[in-house]
Amino acid sequence: MTGKPPLVGRYESAVAEVLAVTAEYAGHSDEAAEFPTAALDAMRATGLLGLLVPAEHGGGGGTLTDLVEVTLRLARVDMSVALIFAMHCQQVAAVVRHADGPLAARLLPVLGKGNVYLASVTTERGTGGHLLSSESVVGRTAGMLTIDRDAPIVTGGRYADAFLITALAPQATSPSQVSLVYARRDQLTVEVRGGWQPLGMRATDSVPMRLTGQVPADQVIGEPGRFREIVAPTFGPLAHIGWSAAWLGAATGALSRILHHIRDAGRNQFDPSSELLLTRLARLRGRLDLVNAVLRHTVATMESGSDRSDPAVQMLVNSLKVHAAEQCFAAADEMVELVGLRHGYLKSSPLHLERVFRDLRSASLNYANDRLLLVNGALVLRDRQVRLA
Amino acid sequence: MTALDTGFPDLLKPFLKYAGTEPITPDASLTDLGLDSMRAIELLFAIEDTYGVSMPDELLTNHTFATAGSLWATIESLRGRAA
Repeated sequence: MTGKPPLVGRYESAVAEVLAVTAEYAGHSDEAAEFPTAALDAMRATGLLGLLVPAEHGGGGGTLTDLVEVTLRLARVDMSVALIFAMHCQQVAAVVRHADGPLAARLLPVLGKGNVYLASVTTERGTGGHLLSSESVVGRTAGMLTIDRDAPIVTGGRYADAFLITALAPQATSPSQVSLVYARRDQLTVEVRGGWQPLGMRATDSVPMRLTGQVPADQVIGEPGRFREIVAPTFGPLAHIGWSAAWLGAATGALSRILHHIRDAGRNQFDPSSELLLTRLARLRGRLDLVNAVLRHTVATMESGSDRSDPAVQMLVNSLKVHAAEQCFAAADEMVELVGLRHGYLKSSPLHLERVFRDLRSASLNYANDRLLLVNGALVLRDRQVRLA
Repeated sequence: MTALDTGFPDLLKPFLKYAGTEPITPDASLTDLGLDSMRAIELLFAIEDTYGVSMPDELLTNHTFATAGSLWATIESLRGRAA
């Protein structure tokens, strides 16, 4: 898997097409806090959304490395678009790895075409981002599951073609018996219950929603009540890897624009012999190299078939998320300082640092670093030998 | 299935937020009863203090903490080793 060249051939032009549309609308999407529908349409039309579906089901047979490459490239231009893509791929990976039997046979060819956009419905008012417990009950009658789900944040939910929804399994005897249910938009009544006016990642349109409806009971991904067995090996790692790639891509794109500026239009404002400039640039680049190294190592660990329930692997994945969030935002902050008020703080600058800074401020909050550090702290105590993954 | 020591369910209960008032049976899933990774480490310290055992890192797995019975069996084997 790791020997494969990144980006399965047929997606090279797809990514270029999506990038062109993304660049055209990035400013407007941010300004208006609007979902990048043109970019999503391009992802559907090019089949890019099917990247992670195995080739035998019509998908791209992409690896985690491919996901990271595409996400990095999208994020250089627009972090929101990259997050939308990466989170869709996280949902697809859950279906690919955990759906079985007739459900897999039905779903995988549909997802492989790459024109179905999946949104994730895992947040709850009572539990926030806690994935492993739920207060939403699913009823079951005559082979059908009845869904009535209130979710405070659904990224792209307004535009999704289908949803993966967490809810308590029917007959659950404990709030931790959560199922992951697939539901097409036409199987649900979808109600958007509020707006989205955040500081950054404004184009993700992560609105509160209520989803109600009935789906056949066989639309549960994996064992009913066993969503936690999807989280540890798939949902968690894919989220942290995808987000980290989006953050790194955003910071990388920003640094690249700064360097072009210093070498071209801004030439007169920067002195290449300035020690302050050089040490600042070196530190910036170093932060990105660090995140890239941890990201690549984490991906390689996943692709090598390591036991994903091994605490050492879990700690690595969680550390990646925390490092990437901290380092990429710190880099954005230093970039603003480096170029100064006009290009670092004003919306009108073609360097778009103001937007990247706002976008990256969300990184530590998007599944809170504080919460993840508590989990890792408990895991550290379980490994006295300190076996680094 | 090893029968649980009489005091063991009482030791477990504070760490199981969904345990309610039902008795804890040997085959009850501790995750279903509300044990998470953070509570698991607190439970580990309580077990080591109460039973005077030290759990090796390689036994700190999901399997050991799967059920009240699997956890008690692990404690028993460690006590046997110490005796």
